Amino acid sequence: MIAPMSELLAIRYDFDVVWDFLFDPIVLEALWETMKISTLAMVGGVVLGIVLAVMRVSRNPVASTASGLYVWFWRGTPVILQLLMFFFGLKQVIDEDIFRDNWTRFRAAVVIFAFNEAAYMAEIGRAGILSVDPGQMDAAKSLGMTNLQAMRRIILPQAIRVMIPPTGNEFIALLKNTSVLFAIGIVELTNAARIQAARNFKIMELYSVAAFWYLMIVTVFSIGQAELERRFAAGERDQPQTLFSRMTRVVGASRRGEGKF
Amino acid sequence: MPRLFRTFLTLCLVALAAALVFAACGDDDDDNGGNGGGGDIDISGVPELDDGVLNVGSDIAYAPFEFYEEGTTTPDGLDIDLAEAIAVALDVDIEFQNTGFDGIIPALEVDDFDVLISAMTITDERSEVIDFVPYITVGTGIVVPTGNPDGIAGLDDLCGKTVAVQVGTIQFDMLEAQNDSCDDDVNIVVFDTNPLAVEDLRTGGSDANFSDYPVAAEDAAISGGDLEVVDTQIAPEPYGLGVRKTSTELNAVLDEALQAIIDDGTYQQILDDWDLPDIALN
Repeated sequence: MIAPMSELLAIRYDFDVVWDFLFDPIVLEALWETMKISTLAMVGGVVLGIVLAVMRVSRNPVASTASGLYVWFWRGTPVILQLLMFFFGLKQVIDEDIFRDNWTRFRAAVVIFAFNEAAYMAEIGRAGILSVDPGQMDAAKSLGMTNLQAMRRIILPQAIRVMIPPTGNEFIALLKNTSVLFAIGIVELTNAARIQAARNFKIMELYSVAAFWYLMIVTVFSIGQAELERRFAAGERDQPQTLFSRMTRVVGASRRGEGKF
Repeated sequence: MPRLFRTFLTLCLVALAAALVFAACGDDDDDNGGNGGGGDIDISGVPELDDGVLNVGSDIAYAPFEFYEEGTTTPDGLDIDLAEAIAVALDVDIEFQNTGFDGIIPALEVDDFDVLISAMTITDERSEVIDFVPYITVGTGIVVPTGNPDGIAGLDDLCGKTVAVQVGTIQFDMLEAQNDSCDDDVNIVVFDTNPLAVEDLRTGGSDANFSDYPVAAEDAAISGGDLEVVDTQIAPEPYGLGVRKTSTELNAVLDEALQAIIDDGTYQQILDDWDLPDIALN
């Protein structure tokens, strides 16, 4: 199909191909694969990252140094290199069937991405913890809490609010970085498009489909993130306005502390 | 000293900008002189050869057809030697551009280079987009771990197995087609280069690797005893030099040059040198 404007410019874009592949099972399956790996890796990364953050600000030199070294390595090398090293490289070095059979592509992808993400989350966690007024820790200590208790009950809950925007950012970055998983043979969204494009030579059309799905996910996720920020801003006078809250306001549901109304 | 620091910063930025400009001017791979030889073929009507250079695209990671000599950026291989012989017959220089296999036809279409030689099988789908000059006939081979633990003898035995292939190859298409006659589907694992696919086989992530027979044999030979090739060539088909559909003059002179090197024995000599005498075009 050549668009009418080819009088002036030769534009060749086959919308039919886009429609064909938009909901094609191959694409949707790859999309699901991308989501699975991103979500699992993110959850793992956040949990591990917060642990590393607490270790980093600890007065215990072993904990603090270990955490520092971890962040240094996992933040300091590209994730594709980490994938190649710890999937192929590790399997080359450890020549045991038990290991090789169980260290599957999928598991390696989730674990390596989680480890990578934890390094970034450690820094975000550290920033969050530092953002909490030091008086909070003093007050907690004066009530007889240990460092760890104070962290768990007082500091971290307050730190989380500050951590939400950068964490959301990290998830979006992680989601897109999964496109390098082709290096270890995983077909995720970008590469499903690539494989099909290699067969029908409709490059732009196929990649448009992939781009569409990435944008869909990021959009839905951003709406969710905004809501999450709202919830954590409970009790504040100026609650952030989100798409969802604006929609419910129009429909008539009233909420306290909402703008001018 | 803020002012000193600012001057230093400015100099750094200027240096960076200069470096980027020069990097952009940089050129790709090799430049092999086409001296002596040929000159009998009239290339005056070929626009692509006006500058006296044959620009060739290739996925230079497919030994023994095209690969980089160890530790260098010099392309070598059967395809490379044939391309260089053709350039000599045409009395032009030659330059190679390394391009990922699945993007090589699109790259040809947007004039990144003028001809592709990349162990590419001539297929109907590809022929709809570009034109081919056939030059050798090659089949597909299967690489397995030494000892062939799964007893793979042919395409049918790949059902239910995990097979590593490169994206955009006919091997990928062959495996998908095979699934129609399989009870247990082939688990196709795709990589962007064949060496990575072989790596997956070597580290136990796949049961077999499916690629062109000479490549399969080569991978087995250099694996240090880890891999072996199954001794059957599957479905031999002609390979082609690819040109754009609009490059009709280039197509014609390449055909002439190929015929010239077949006639004077250079062609067979190259095939013999690479230990592949039987893949001559029939």
